Amino acid sequence: MTGPRRRPPARPAAAPVDPGPPRPDPRDRLRRVLFLVPYAVRHPGCTVKDLARRCACTEKELLEDLDFLLNVGSPPFGPDDFLDVYVEGDRVHVALHQSFSRPPRFTESEAAALAAAAEGLGGEGRERAVKALRDSVPKDRRASFDELSRRIYAGAPPAPDSVLGRLQRAMADRRAVRLAYHSASRDAETDRVVHPYTLAQRFGHWYLYGHDEERGKPLAFRVDRIRGCQPLSQRFEPPGEAELSRMRLFSETSGEPASIRIAPGATAWAIARPGIRPVRREEDGGAVVEVTAGEEWATRFALSLGGQAEVVGPPAARRHFAERVRRTLARYRTT
Amino acid sequence: MHKDQRLLDLAALLLKAAEPVSWREIQEQFPEDYAGKGEAAIRKFERDKADLLELGIPVRYAAGDEDLPAGYLIDKDEFYLPDLKLPPEDLALLYVAGSAALAQGTFPYARDLAQALNKLSFAASAPGASESAAQAARRLSAAETEAPPAVVRWLEELSRAIAHKKRVHLRYRGAERPEDTEREVDPYGLFQNGGAWYLTGWCHLREDIRTFHLSRIVSLSVNSATPRTPDFDVRGDFSLAEVAAREPWEFRVHAPVRCRVLLDTPVSDEVLASFGPRKKVREEEGALEVEVEATNSEGLLRHVLSLGPAAEIRSPRALRERARQVLAELVEGLS
Repeated sequence: MTGPRRRPPARPAAAPVDPGPPRPDPRDRLRRVLFLVPYAVRHPGCTVKDLARRCACTEKELLEDLDFLLNVGSPPFGPDDFLDVYVEGDRVHVALHQSFSRPPRFTESEAAALAAAAEGLGGEGRERAVKALRDSVPKDRRASFDELSRRIYAGAPPAPDSVLGRLQRAMADRRAVRLAYHSASRDAETDRVVHPYTLAQRFGHWYLYGHDEERGKPLAFRVDRIRGCQPLSQRFEPPGEAELSRMRLFSETSGEPASIRIAPGATAWAIARPGIRPVRREEDGGAVVEVTAGEEWATRFALSLGGQAEVVGPPAARRHFAERVRRTLARYRTT
Repeated sequence: MHKDQRLLDLAALLLKAAEPVSWREIQEQFPEDYAGKGEAAIRKFERDKADLLELGIPVRYAAGDEDLPAGYLIDKDEFYLPDLKLPPEDLALLYVAGSAALAQGTFPYARDLAQALNKLSFAASAPGASESAAQAARRLSAAETEAPPAVVRWLEELSRAIAHKKRVHLRYRGAERPEDTEREVDPYGLFQNGGAWYLTGWCHLREDIRTFHLSRIVSLSVNSATPRTPDFDVRGDFSLAEVAAREPWEFRVHAPVRCRVLLDTPVSDEVLASFGPRKKVREEEGALEVEVEATNSEGLLRHVLSLGPAAEIRSPRALRERARQVLAELVEGLS
């Protein structure tokens, strides 16, 4: 049993929670609180700022949550019932509680969403990981987890489980790997020593993002072009979390963007595709878009719209498109 | 009492109790909320129980025996997130897959996924944990401040509709006809292909399983009647993975047609693989002939055109003629 409840010493009495406009879903606050309390217990004296960041809310919302917690377990419960939360300066202390020392189990949709993401990436540990997620759902929700898992399919893994498994182990151990990598530009297999930082998905493909030793800079490698992966003993220091997040936003930019004019019928479809940046809508309902993945990609994209798009600029990209279209048409002159 | 406070108080009461808590005791502890003998109080309590379960807190009724009184309880083992006991490489798989899914910006159950990563990073530290927690925080706070793009909204609404098996009403802009259609659809699942998300379900307009590209959905509403009662059952023989594995020319639009495509050698592994696992390949001098069965020949046409002058449709004659026409019109537009 917990000891007597202490009122917060360093903070004026909690303002009553403003009933105000109704919150969209009271469960959102509870989700936050169920994470906030164990986190604050695990990290005594963590700052309001840090806690707010981890709970994905503003500092104001966080202080409201703490006020809310003070009201929990108030009469008719005894004074020793629940939590002792106080803020001292900018630091949060939670003490003398027992009930919420760890976060609750995964809900079936939390576990199923993470399982679907893991299934779409793959790796030797995939089945183990998915089973562990399933076991972390309350027992009588596991059937719902199974059902829901069959309703999301995030794609087929980009490489054999063995390749992905080795990459994941190397990332976890922070060890370099030797890759047998098929370079599309050279159409040849190359040998690379890479510090594997992270994996990211872009335009429907998985990429390994890592530092290429020989070239001395971070590069993106298409995972489906990695033919072999050997772990090395050499270790590396990974970049910080901010840089990792930035890497996820990489684009395969190569020079000036190409402009493509799209016919009205294909516009909605085309501008929704990944990697397409709308520039302007035409009066007839068509559109002009830009792509930055190079003129070859621009030509392929335009042709994939079945005659409803053409590359219009810059001149080099237009020439590339025109040349491709003429040469392709030449193949159809005979029947 | 505010609902969020009542839910947390109820959870705290049941977690703290040494033995099951009877309905009468619960009523005494929450005199304002569950007052009265009527059905209404019990129904309110049952709704609260369901809300708690959605937060991952399972409340159970124990019938009672010689040793224990009858009442409600929360099994501690069923409440706290257990240690997943996974090796670092499996945790890396979960963190990387989860972070990549969130960074992509479009993933079903994205909020739940972010919650899951938050909980996981709390329970298990491994490389990638802090980055995935940061991604989760970003996702959770972004949802409340920015108006999300339509696809993100559809994903969110469809996620709920799929979990609760609620029928949806779609306004859809199909690829093959200019005007929109309105349909009732029983949503069976969501899948990702080439970076885009698709809904598959029973279409009441076509009376068959149909697939919808999310970015072609103009508007969507979920049947809001009886939210806790399912509207449909998924047909027993349905497999989302099977549907998701279909190539664009395998969408059901017309009767099956055998199509032959000529590819100039050398053909890269990627181009060959792009015709899917059901193709038949025959070697010729300086070329490969690929044969596939198409139920949406327009899809095949677009794929072959996107491959440029190294590929041509050989048969059927009508499709070859259509390719020639499309290219001739493009060439005309060039001058």
